Amino acid sequence: MRLMPNKQQGLFTFAYTVLGLFMGWWMLALVLDSPAVPLPWDAVKSLGESLRGDLLFHLGVSLYRVLVSLILATVLAVPLGIFLGKNPALDNKAAPLVYLTYPIPKVVLMPVFLILLGIGDASKIVLITLITFYQILVTTRDAAKNLEKGYVSSVKSLGATSFDLYRHVYFPACLPAILTSLRLGLGTALAVLFLAETYATQEGIGFFIMDSLSRMNYEEMFAGIIAMSLMGFFLYLLLDQGEKVLCVWTRL
Amino acid sequence: MIENYLAVSSLGVDYWHQGKKVRALDSVDLTLDRGKMGVVIGPSGCGKSTLMSVLAGLNTKYTGQVLIDGKTPTGGLETALILQDFGLLPWKTVWENIVLGLKIRKKNLSEIKGAAEIILEKMNLIPLAKRYPAQLSGGQRQRVAIARALVLEPKLLLMDEPFSSLDALAREEIQDFLLEIWEETKLTTMLITHSIEEAVFLGQRIFVMSPCPGRIRKQVENPLAGDHSLRGRVQFVEMCSLLRTYLHGGRRETYETDA
Repeated sequence: MRLMPNKQQGLFTFAYTVLGLFMGWWMLALVLDSPAVPLPWDAVKSLGESLRGDLLFHLGVSLYRVLVSLILATVLAVPLGIFLGKNPALDNKAAPLVYLTYPIPKVVLMPVFLILLGIGDASKIVLITLITFYQILVTTRDAAKNLEKGYVSSVKSLGATSFDLYRHVYFPACLPAILTSLRLGLGTALAVLFLAETYATQEGIGFFIMDSLSRMNYEEMFAGIIAMSLMGFFLYLLLDQGEKVLCVWTRL
Repeated sequence: MIENYLAVSSLGVDYWHQGKKVRALDSVDLTLDRGKMGVVIGPSGCGKSTLMSVLAGLNTKYTGQVLIDGKTPTGGLETALILQDFGLLPWKTVWENIVLGLKIRKKNLSEIKGAAEIILEKMNLIPLAKRYPAQLSGGQRQRVAIARALVLEPKLLLMDEPFSSLDALAREEIQDFLLEIWEETKLTTMLITHSIEEAVFLGQRIFVMSPCPGRIRKQVENPLAGDHSLRGRVQFVEMCSLLRTYLHGGRRETYETDA
């Protein structure tokens, strides 16, 4: 999926999509007429105020947690995934373990991590890393496994070492799949982040939203929701642009 | 004293297919002098590619003797192999593909740049240097594949049906091109093809193979090869006809050569 096919057309599409979203929200707010769904401009106004308050701090904490988790998951899962995809014999040995542990909803381990790692950043980062790790691992492994072996032998015939093969063949060939799994993983990471930040913490955008809820300050709650959505949007945009720059060859 | 650069004697190769032992090559003998272009021609399934993989050092399970410059082939760095597909990495540009072999061999950067620039210039590839393989025509792609092999300065060039996916015109163009390159470098070259015209145009020594198991049926000296205007000549047609006769097992069938 391409976010913006063409710059001008893309900006236009983007503008009326945002406008449409606000229109929908506005109508919903009018129809429901509930304090739980404030009017869009009240929420935006509150967002402006909160940004001058402590929202930016909470946003920063959340951004730190999600970025560190995604980077950690990538650094761990990509080499392992390529290694397993490259060595089918080892993959066959590891497959049952991956197969059995992949469907476990790892988010239920949150209480365990809270006890073991405390209520700070570590427990949240480990949880998000663990969950996105699996998505990246499985996608990368399959991409490496399905790589046309002709490329490998042609580079081998140039006298390539194992490291050369990783660097010039496996990694670049798997990169599009890795970035796709990161984009999917980003959605999961943000969802898990929210959950992790709603319990036993005083920091992060999840806390900000739930704290506003408990104070019945719904405008501020929506400011938090908008802020978190924007954070997700910009991270997504970053990955999309990264793919555009790094994987030119897939769009030829 | 080794006279032949390439010397194969009583080469035999077996492989296992569905539990059965299949003889791919049987008592193959061939020799090729240094600086010559040899062509192996035969129907599909006659073991041409098996022969090539032995010469390239990729297949070491054979009987008989194979010597390249007096040594057993090990897939070493003196032999370059060009295949029909998968030669070029789609995620690297023409330039990156060409310098890849040099990078892998740990040459220093200025050396790499110099060698690659010379080869790009020589092969008219400079305007294409920043393109990806997907942006090239089939003929251009094979030119890049040849450039990538030549930049490594091999002693022996092996080509396994390199042009078979090209249309007739592009094919003749790149045959001319290969001939020019060969004239300039005098690189010992062994080419596999199933095209009779290609064999006659390029091969100074043509090895005609028969299938099941692969054997060299006939070794033909072809003094015509190397003439750029050969395709329009009567002798070219005659030689093709003769080769066709050999391929059909010596029977002349409908191909009469005596004019």
